[in-house]
Amino acid sequence: MKLLGFVVICLTGGLLIYGTMDLPNWGDPASPASTHLSDYYIENIVEETQVPNLVTAVLADYRGYDTMFETAVVFCAGLACFLLLRDFRPGKNRYYRHIPTGVMLHFKNPDTRMIPGNEFEHMDKDWVPSDIIIKTVCRILIPFIQIYALYVVAHGDFSPGGGFQGGVIFGSSLILMAISYNLRTLMKRVTEKFLSIFAATGVLIYVGLGVLAMIMGGQFLDYGMLAPLVPWDPGHIRALGMLGVEIGVGIAVMAVMVIIYVNIVSEGRHDEGL
Amino acid sequence: MHIIINILSVSCLLMGLVFFIGGAVGIMRMPDFYSRLHPAGKLDTLGIFTMVAGLVIYNFHHLSLGMVLLSIKMFLIVFFVFLASPTATHSIVDAGMRAGLRPWTQKKEKE
Repeated sequence: MKLLGFVVICLTGGLLIYGTMDLPNWGDPASPASTHLSDYYIENIVEETQVPNLVTAVLADYRGYDTMFETAVVFCAGLACFLLLRDFRPGKNRYYRHIPTGVMLHFKNPDTRMIPGNEFEHMDKDWVPSDIIIKTVCRILIPFIQIYALYVVAHGDFSPGGGFQGGVIFGSSLILMAISYNLRTLMKRVTEKFLSIFAATGVLIYVGLGVLAMIMGGQFLDYGMLAPLVPWDPGHIRALGMLGVEIGVGIAVMAVMVIIYVNIVSEGRHDEGL
Repeated sequence: MHIIINILSVSCLLMGLVFFIGGAVGIMRMPDFYSRLHPAGKLDTLGIFTMVAGLVIYNFHHLSLGMVLLSIKMFLIVFFVFLASPTATHSIVDAGMRAGLRPWTQKKEKE
């Protein structure tokens, strides 16, 4: 099985390297990008899309397919991490602490379990006393990080930013919560179901906008056809379409970041981690 | 007026540079993990503060609402660095203590 995997990887890598043979040389003045493509973008983007940020306009509008499948790749990464690592068996050793006395209980039988209440709390194996400085500062910082992430997503079509970056910042704020408290605190607030639904919803928003454009009579991902939906501002419809797409990308990336982190640190058990 | 702004701004920037250089030299020269974190955590934070203060003073050349907003945003960066950088240093030191790394002490000379 390992040999088969090795052969498949070598074959894929070889094909990819073979594929790069056809690409034009770096900085080749005769390549299509240098002769007419860049000039076209620079001259016409603002008229055609009303978006001041050329990079976003190229990525989300002219190359909408490319970005859509990039989002799908991110989603697949989360899915693969879930399928490979997720382990539904309960952990063998469980530790509980009696809060009034501080006595630790160690359960070796996986079938017996205790419902943590006011008297007992569930502990990690490598438990470190929670540090109040780190906890407090993270509690102050996390909301600001999240607002900043939303700002980056919303500014995708005006200034540097976009769905991928904003989603990563949002996901890192959730990961910071898991590091500064513990993994169970995160999983109590952001459950696995929530994350999975969000990861799928993000991709669905992107594809849904494309399909909506088809229903309205245009081609797939042709945001200009969505103009009747926003009668108050039809001139900026392409910018608004890109914003919708960026929101979808942001949601998917955020959820996938957290799924990958949680599955890797807890070895798929979701009970204790870093 | 302009020359005063320039002098203030440049002196702030130079002060920041001194702090950064001190931090870099400290990281290279200090004897162990904990004492290296000391310049890394303290001087970089103060260096960023003075650097950004110098840039904010430079913004006073063109006083307008946009520039004031820009200055506020720059100070927000400093505010979050002030919160995050010492906390990160603290948690690194904490992790070092938990992992059992002993602080450096000067070796006693054999009599």
